[in-house]
Parts: sequence; C-alpha cells; structure tokens
Amino acid sequence: MDKERLERLRKTTGVHLAMEAKETLRQMEEDFPVHPAAMQYFYEQFRIAYGSGGANEDGRKRVGTLCVQVPEELVRAAGAVPVRLCSGAHAFDQVGAEFLPAKSCSLMKATLGMLSLRSTAFSGTLDLVVNPTTCDQKKKAGELLEEFGYRVYNLEMPASRDSEEAREYWHRSVKNFGAALERTTGVRITKQRLADAIRATGLARAAYRRLHGLQQSRQALIRGTDAMLVTNAYFFDDLDRWTGAVNALADELEDRQDRSVFVAGKHAARILFTGSPPVFPNLKLPLLIEQAGGVIVADEVCSSSRLLYDLAAYDEQALYDMVPAVADRALKPCTCPVFSSSQDRIRRLLDLAQTFSADGVVYQTIAGCMPYDQEQRTVGRALAAANIPLLLVETDYGPDDHGQLSTRVEAFIESLRGKARKRA
Amino acid sequence: MRYFAGIDMGSTAIKIALMDDEGMPAGRTAAPTGSHFRKNTLAALGLLLEEEGIDRSDVAYVLSTGYGRKLFHDADETVSEITANAAGARAIAGSDAVRTIINIGGQDSKVLLLDADGQVRNFVMNDKCAAGTGRFLEMTARNLGTEVDELGDLHRRCSGAPLPVTSTCTVFAESEIISLLANGHGREEIVAGVHYSIARRIVRLARRIGIEDGVFFDGGPALNSGMVAALEDELMRKVTVPALPQFTTAIGAATLARAAWIETREQVDA
Repeated sequence: MDKERLERLRKTTGVHLAMEAKETLRQMEEDFPVHPAAMQYFYEQFRIAYGSGGANEDGRKRVGTLCVQVPEELVRAAGAVPVRLCSGAHAFDQVGAEFLPAKSCSLMKATLGMLSLRSTAFSGTLDLVVNPTTCDQKKKAGELLEEFGYRVYNLEMPASRDSEEAREYWHRSVKNFGAALERTTGVRITKQRLADAIRATGLARAAYRRLHGLQQSRQALIRGTDAMLVTNAYFFDDLDRWTGAVNALADELEDRQDRSVFVAGKHAARILFTGSPPVFPNLKLPLLIEQAGGVIVADEVCSSSRLLYDLAAYDEQALYDMVPAVADRALKPCTCPVFSSSQDRIRRLLDLAQTFSADGVVYQTIAGCMPYDQEQRTVGRALAAANIPLLLVETDYGPDDHGQLSTRVEAFIESLRGKARKRA
Repeated sequence: MRYFAGIDMGSTAIKIALMDDEGMPAGRTAAPTGSHFRKNTLAALGLLLEEEGIDRSDVAYVLSTGYGRKLFHDADETVSEITANAAGARAIAGSDAVRTIINIGGQDSKVLLLDADGQVRNFVMNDKCAAGTGRFLEMTARNLGTEVDELGDLHRRCSGAPLPVTSTCTVFAESEIISLLANGHGREEIVAGVHYSIARRIVRLARRIGIEDGVFFDGGPALNSGMVAALEDELMRKVTVPALPQFTTAIGAATLARAAWIETREQVDA
C-alpha cells in the first residue's frame, strides 16, 4: 500500500472507530439508567482507548496476543505486558475485508485489519505478537502478520485436550514459548517472578469471580453488557488497577444488594450468552437482548467468563511445577469449539444455565466462524433435551441486520416471559 | 362499549383489527404503508373508527406490532410480530389446531413452532434480504404485466412442468424472468416456477427447526392459491389458510391488547 493511501486509511478508520465506540457507549449509558457508579471507571477506559488517544505506554515491552489461550502469567513473569488484540470494530473489519477472503469471520478481519494499519494509536507498539494455532483462520494469520512487519510467535496448540499426548505437546509448546519471551524481553522467568505473576493474575481472577457470583442474584444487580465491558477492559487495562476497579464494583453491588437496588425487574428474562465472542464496540447482540427487556446473567464466551474464570494452581514453588500449572490453566478448562470434543462446553452451559437460573440461551455465531457454527447442532440438541429455549443468531460486525435482529431477539424474550414469571 | 386495537405496521401494508370487550371482532382495515408510517396509520385508524361508529376515547388499549411498530408512539404497548402472529393463529384456529405457522410477509418470511399452549417455542426468519417474500411476487406480477391477485389463476392454468427460477436475489430473479419471457416461455409456467422457488426456500427454512402437523399459512401471499398449492407440495402436507390471512397478526395484536388491558385492570383492582 502506498504511503498516502495508508495515511488516509488510518485517518478515516480512526474516525469510524471513534464513532462506533461513542455510539456503543452512548447506548450502554443512556438506554439503561441506574448503573453502579463504579462502572464509570470502565466507561472512561474505553472513552480514552477509543476516543482520545490509544494505548498507554510505560516503557515495558508489550506482547500482543490473538487468543485467550496464551498463558498471560508467563508474559508478565518475563516483564512484559500482555495486550489482547482481538478486535470488535467494524471499522477495522472493513479494512481487513480488503485482503482477507470474503468468508473470513469479522473478528479475524477486524483484528488483522487493525494490525495491517501498523498504527500505534490503535494497537500501540508491539514487541511480539503471539498467535496460538487454534482455528484455521488464526493458523494462517501468523504469516500475514510477519508480512506486515511484526515479530510473530506461533504458539502451537493441540487439536484435542483430552489425551495425555496433547497435554505433553502443549506443555512443551508453552515451555518453548517461555524461552521465546525471555529472548524478547531479556528478562529471565524466575520462580519468584512467575509466582508473583500467578498471584497478581490470580487476584484479578478472584475479583472477577466475585462479580460473576453476584450475577447469580435472583434479581439482577448488574447488566450483562456492563459485565462484558468490565472483562473487555482486561484486554488492555493495567492489571492491578483493573483488579481494584472490579473489587470496587463488587463492593458496590453487594451494598446495592443489601439495599435492594436492582437493574432489572423480577420478571426480566434471564439470558445465558454463548458462542463467538462479543468484543467492544461490537456489543450489538448483547445490547439488543437487554434493550428488549432481557438481562444477561452469565456468559460462556472467550472475551468474558472463559477469559477470567480459571486459576492456575501449583503445588511446589518450582518452575517444573509452575510452568505446567500455567499451561494447564490455559488448556484444560478451555471450552473453545476448535477442540475435537464439545462435551465440556455442553456441561459448562448446562451448569451455568442451572446455577444462574437462566430462562434461555442466546448463541451467537459470527458469520464465517465454522467451529461455533458446527457446534450449534450438538449444543442445540443438548439444550433442547434439558428443556432450555435457545435462540441461534448468525451475525457479523456490520450494522445492516440490526432491524431484523431486533425483531428476532424481542420475539425470543417475549416467548420467555411466561417462564420468567413462573420462576419469579 | 370498550374496544381494543391491534395495529400491524408491515413493510407493504398497515393492517388494523378492532376487538370488543367480549373478544369479538369489531372491524378491520388495511392501507398501504407508504413513507409516512405514523400519519398513514393514524389516518387509517381514524377512518376505521368513523366507519364503525366508534369514538376514539372508547378504544381502551392500542398495541402495535410489525416492522414499523416502534415508530408509532401512539400505541400503549409494542410487541414483535412473531408473538402477535402466534396470538392471532391461536385466536383464529385455536391452539389445538396449530403447531407450525408459516408466514410470508412483504419483505420477510418466518416459520414459528408453537407448544401445546400455543406459545412460541422456536422460530426462524429469512436472513437479511427479500428473497422468497411478497416483494418477490410483486416483482413477478409487474414483469408479467399482471396483478398479484391474478397469480393464483395463472398457476392453475400451468399445464407443463413449472420453469425453474433459481436466483435467490430478487434483483437477479427479475432478469431471469425477463429472459424466460424473451425466450418465449409461457407466463403460467413462469408463475408456477416462482411459486415453487419461494415454497422451496421457505420449506428449507422450516426444516431448520422442524415442521409439525397443524400447519397454518398466513400473510398476504397466502391469498394466492398457487402459492398455497406449491407450499403444500413442498411440505408434502396440507396447510390451513385462514379466511383473512393478511390480518392474522393484527388480530393477534388486538387479542394481546385486550389481554394486556385486563391484566392492568386486575392489578389496579388488586
């Protein structure tokens, strides 16, 4: 691409991005009053990141990650800051559409579109980009990123999680990744450094679990879209500051619980959200659900609960035990449909539906995402057998299907009314 | 006397149904949607009330549905056309008789599955475009130099095999039909081909959620006997078409309006 066109593309895309972000935040803040005051911190993070001035730099090395599977503890132990690059912006989606196959999913088009612009305002300076070889589209993304001029590390993943061979393969892969990180940052991953990283990320995850637990409240204390914004901020926010803000939010919600301050009525349909990840600013479907009178009480997506639910556990403070613990944390509980079996995901969904008293499930497939699309069948059958209503939605980052989707979502929420009343 | 109004603001036409205190029909009307939704709706409602000799203040509850429902702020409540359609089918045929509803509208088509109580259990809608909808039939009629209400007769007169119309896109199908005409094919075979093409598309959609016996077919295109015949062939079963298929959703909205009013009153009394 010639320089002039690149500059123009960056500028126009920047304008589109700011408009999108502004609109999503406007809907979140204005359509739903009675937000917890502690949410302001998160709205502000997105206003800064998407409006006024891009990623914050503090001199530390930055390692971009393209998937939830990258063991962030190792990145932090090597003295770098992990930044999740998965993008939800339609503006970047359109940039990626220029060079990716038409049937690629919006998430890949947006992420690679963003990175192709090589603009520090959007993704910051990246010392390394880690690309786990998960779905086919991600596997092929590594080469493309090298072409854009990034240093890329392809983190090799097994196709299954159940066998001992897969586990060994993954442990070796993660160990090699640790060595590559050390070469990038020049900082050795010592057992003390790794213990600190496991502790700091563990505290963040514990804070998330408090929030997650509060979502079980019989009457909703927080909107699902707000909860998604909180977890989306984890993509780029400072770790300790984020943990503090989430704990402050949980404190406020506990206080509101005592005072019976809720964000939705008793009869609001409780929704469990699953499928392709909703990433800011593409909160189209979650927002439609809550605008139609539903409330998302739990999710099973890699941009929210799957990102933060699990903790690394080790017995001995020695690298030979801690590195595998971190690797297991990333692999074993992961319910991504790229793995050959869908049974764990089904169990997780049934469990979440029960513990969070969900009235129905909304399953999002981003058009072009084959693994999620295929798993609709098995998941759909399991939910039907458990008598849990399901709405399957195929969509993308574009705004074109908004009207049609709103009708479908409203009808689904209306059809759950009877169930919600009986429950309440 | 107290009345309830159900207003279905479709993409092509506005349908209004009135219901009285006892739940009996008390009048109906249809008017083209045009570009001034709200104005046209108010005009149509005003005219209907005048014809029926009903005072506006006697209309206790107005419920709007359909594609333009949110633009009509004069309604007491809005509900999606899916819920309203199911309510309409229940009111007309009884919840025992209906398990599957196939609705073809002006610019979308949908299939609904109902449970034993007549509540929506599952549904699918066509994705994004006007393929296989009333708009498709309008385009066909225009190109064949006829009217939409003549399509059924043309279909019946088709003696040979219907011509395949393969284009999904309404725009491409239009050029396909023009070239079929240019090649000397009869209008009857073309019309039958269009009906089968729409029927196959909607049956494919329906198979995604499963079809259960007790199929109710409504929406404006259900007035077209050729469309009904093609759909029955493709479904390989009989369908029930109500007397006024284009009013099902408006009637459903009126039923829901009455139910909502009764519920509100009970809450006030309690």
